[in-house]
Amino acid sequence: MKEFTYKIEDPNGMHARPAGMLATFAKQFHADIRVNAGEKSADGKRLLSLMSLGAVHGTELTFCISGDDEDTAAAALEAFCKEKMKGNTKM
Amino acid sequence: MKTEKQPNRILNGVGVGTRRVSGRLKFFFRGELSQPHKTNISHDGAQEWSRLQTALRKTAEKIKALYERALSSVGEDAAQIFEIHGMLLEDEDFLDALREETERGSCAEDAVEGATQRFSEMLSGLGDDYLSARAADMRDVARQLQQSLSGNESNEHDREKTPFILVADDLSPSETVMLEKSLILGFVTFRGTPNSHTAILARAMGIPALVSVGAIDPLYDGSPALLDAAEGTLTLSPTEEQTSVFADKQKKDDRIAEEHDRYLRSLMNKPAVTRGGHRMLIYANIGNVEEVDAALSNGADGIGLLRSEFLYLGTDDYPTEETLFRAYSDIAVRMQGKRTVIRTLDIGADKRIPYFGLPEEENPALGFRAIRICLAREDLFKTQLRAILRATAHGRLSIMLPMIVSVDEVRQSKRILEECMQELRRENKRFDPKPEFGIMIETPASVIMCEELASEVDFFSVGTNDLMQYTLAADRQNPALARLCEENTEPILRMIATAADAIHRFGGWIGICGELAAELHLTQRFADMQIDELSVSVPYLLGVRGKVTECR
Repeated sequence: MKEFTYKIEDPNGMHARPAGMLATFAKQFHADIRVNAGEKSADGKRLLSLMSLGAVHGTELTFCISGDDEDTAAAALEAFCKEKMKGNTKM
Repeated sequence: MKTEKQPNRILNGVGVGTRRVSGRLKFFFRGELSQPHKTNISHDGAQEWSRLQTALRKTAEKIKALYERALSSVGEDAAQIFEIHGMLLEDEDFLDALREETERGSCAEDAVEGATQRFSEMLSGLGDDYLSARAADMRDVARQLQQSLSGNESNEHDREKTPFILVADDLSPSETVMLEKSLILGFVTFRGTPNSHTAILARAMGIPALVSVGAIDPLYDGSPALLDAAEGTLTLSPTEEQTSVFADKQKKDDRIAEEHDRYLRSLMNKPAVTRGGHRMLIYANIGNVEEVDAALSNGADGIGLLRSEFLYLGTDDYPTEETLFRAYSDIAVRMQGKRTVIRTLDIGADKRIPYFGLPEEENPALGFRAIRICLAREDLFKTQLRAILRATAHGRLSIMLPMIVSVDEVRQSKRILEECMQELRRENKRFDPKPEFGIMIETPASVIMCEELASEVDFFSVGTNDLMQYTLAADRQNPALARLCEENTEPILRMIATAADAIHRFGGWIGICGELAAELHLTQRFADMQIDELSVSVPYLLGVRGKVTECR
């Protein structure tokens, strides 16, 4: 299993749009992707599940990735979070 | 839609803006919400699940079509709403819930209702305003799914595809904000006045309106009409001749507008400097985040008035500090270093918000409103001030207090602001320790006390609408007094000159953010008074900029 953490930089938190982008991106991997925030845990490939985390600006997300392509998935997801999750538009 | 033709009639009202539009009338009735159409035909799990799958496919196609349409009409950012709707519809958790419900013997319609309720409650319960608002998206998706299930394709979307002229008894500012802008050709209201916030909003949205026309027979719902904001008329069921004369006028307007637009665009990125060398900043008055882009693309040097009430309207409860912080920092970032003046909460008077639980007042314009509420309810004020302070870490924001009548109010506000700063320091939150701090000049008392007030603040901004009604003792909502107000601007201009002298002596700056700022016949006077900034609705930005360059 691979693990990394990402602290949400978007002032709007993890609202629908970044959650949607993340879920779409995560779906391309075989590995099981869990996203944890505090005591809550979500399936990284499901929009409603990610939104249910209610993650706001500054929340630390822990990604736990396990499966045959976990190395690629972890590296790609970490890069994705850093580059694509900063946005300023809320939706 | 009515098929029989209604009689031709011409109604008079007060025009907002100068445009002319023709289209069909659509009457707006409050609380028109269709209930999902429930049927109890079969409870066979497999069969219901297969009905749902068909409906899901159909709905997915509809949402895809909505996305395409939004993409071309409002652009990619807003169109993404429908991308999210598509994802909600196909979300595995949602589908699982639907399957479970049908397996338990619910019919497809009940399954949709049950699953939707579960997820919209989950979203509403997150305690985050933005995510809670997604519950409405969930319900929207469910409504479309129910429609596909019933096979009753009420052509709601077909009907809404064609822009229309909206007709209502009256519209509140929050209702106006909620309207689908791209579908509204113009407004017609039975009541209202050109100075109300509804009219101001219409002006900001750049759509023509006609207010105070008196009641219109609802039989005209769906009838063609000609709305002439320039002449203040509404022609119902126009004759062919009326239509063709109208079309000629529109063509002429277009030609003039095009020429003028070309000239104004040529000025856009040039500073507004009079021939005598006085530089004026041309700022925009805005009422929501979306207007920032429109302001910038019309060459705004900054935002001179952000009406911060928009985050408090259209919700059922007080917005949280986080919600406010996000919106303010969003604006600060988008403005890319240009100044944004946030006017702190100005509710009361004609802007009422139910959850504030404010008592009915005999005379709300002279009532418990704006800074008076904020100073009486410090917790509310602090939430907003903390959010603004935190957002100063992301861009250039100034704080402006409305309805000031005394130096004491300013000092009290400064003390509360200082407390907020101490709290934020303890919490290790970043903020600008010296945010620009100013007040609205909109009461006669503030003009009389302007020396003392000037020594306390960095800037003044004159709210001419309120200043006029308090100085002339004339209610600006009263149509019978519209002329009195129009003819008596001189006392207001002299008050502005007095305030300008005072703040300049103390090294501060002064702007005007009321409607007078956009009156081009006054621009020369403002330049003579050395006014530093004029803040106007987005559609007036270029016109005012052009006028300044023509001033002596």
